[in-house]
Amino acid sequence: MMIPVRCFSCGRVIASDYQKFNQKIKEIRSDGREPTPQEISAIMDDLGLKRYCCRRMVLSHTDLIDEILPFS
Amino acid sequence: MSLKIIESSDRFMRFSVSEINPSIANALRRTIMDDIPKLAIDKVIFHHGQIRDNEGNVYDSSLPLFDEIVAHRLALVPLITDPKMNFREECSCKGEGCPLCTMSYSINRIGPGLVTSADLQPLGNPELVPSDLEIPIVKLGPKQAILVTAEARMGRGSEHAKWCVTSGVAYKYHREYVVKKSEIENWQNFKDKCPGSVISENDKEIRFTDDYGCTLLYQLLDNPNVERFEDPTTYIFQFETDGSYKAIDVLEYALKRLPQRLNTLLDSLVVQD
Repeated sequence: MMIPVRCFSCGRVIASDYQKFNQKIKEIRSDGREPTPQEISAIMDDLGLKRYCCRRMVLSHTDLIDEILPFS
Repeated sequence: MSLKIIESSDRFMRFSVSEINPSIANALRRTIMDDIPKLAIDKVIFHHGQIRDNEGNVYDSSLPLFDEIVAHRLALVPLITDPKMNFREECSCKGEGCPLCTMSYSINRIGPGLVTSADLQPLGNPELVPSDLEIPIVKLGPKQAILVTAEARMGRGSEHAKWCVTSGVAYKYHREYVVKKSEIENWQNFKDKCPGSVISENDKEIRFTDDYGCTLLYQLLDNPNVERFEDPTTYIFQFETDGSYKAIDVLEYALKRLPQRLNTLLDSLVVQD
């Protein structure tokens, strides 16, 4: 579905960071390669996702809203 | 008791408090966590049925997500708060809802597109907008529209997580690492990477502290050759806010709030004679 607004564990607002995170990953992929773990880690550090609870929210999310959109 | 601010920005703060004990430190931590009043959306009214735009096109107000999910997402959006606003139960309107205790918002968008927290229009004080304008609320397909009014009221984090101002509230002891230069070969590396964390240095040893958030120093924690000193009367606190208040305002309120609550407890313990 859509990215949760806040981190489940600590309550930090992470929904807006997810958009920026995806944008940066897309920029790297447009160069024709996959982002390295170090690059992903650096992107999350820049967004202020310091704790691993917030990092897993962004890292492990799959946006499925486009899949259910035609059925509403 | 003395308080020193180590690092402060709009949304993050690190400070040290000395000459206190763990019970006071934890009371302060819990006050910062869940006793700061803030504004959050508490009631959402959805308009159901057909919605027409200026050109006469007809849109359907049914959303791809359940109304409950949308309402919950709206509630978690952090709103910039006016600390002078009243709690509804303590307000002169006696809980009915008036401009002193209630803030109204509306969303009016037609699809297709992503509805974000920037679409949340304040009806009333125009300064009380969401502190984060890029939170996605719901996605609209073609011929879909959303028309919603929402009411926000003051509350505390102990009631619901949507009224939590801060996250990552933590404290630790003030800690010092004594590194003997003869035993730890790469002491120069620690000194170069964390120059602010050096307390004192002489020919034989160098003393670091991890108060200033230099994470490299945690490598010294498990090293048996490093002597560690912890001061259980000095605490290093840190927390971040969601933008509804500045970090310094949260700290100031918490320091005022804590003695108030302790006095309430004290008053209830007095034996009537």
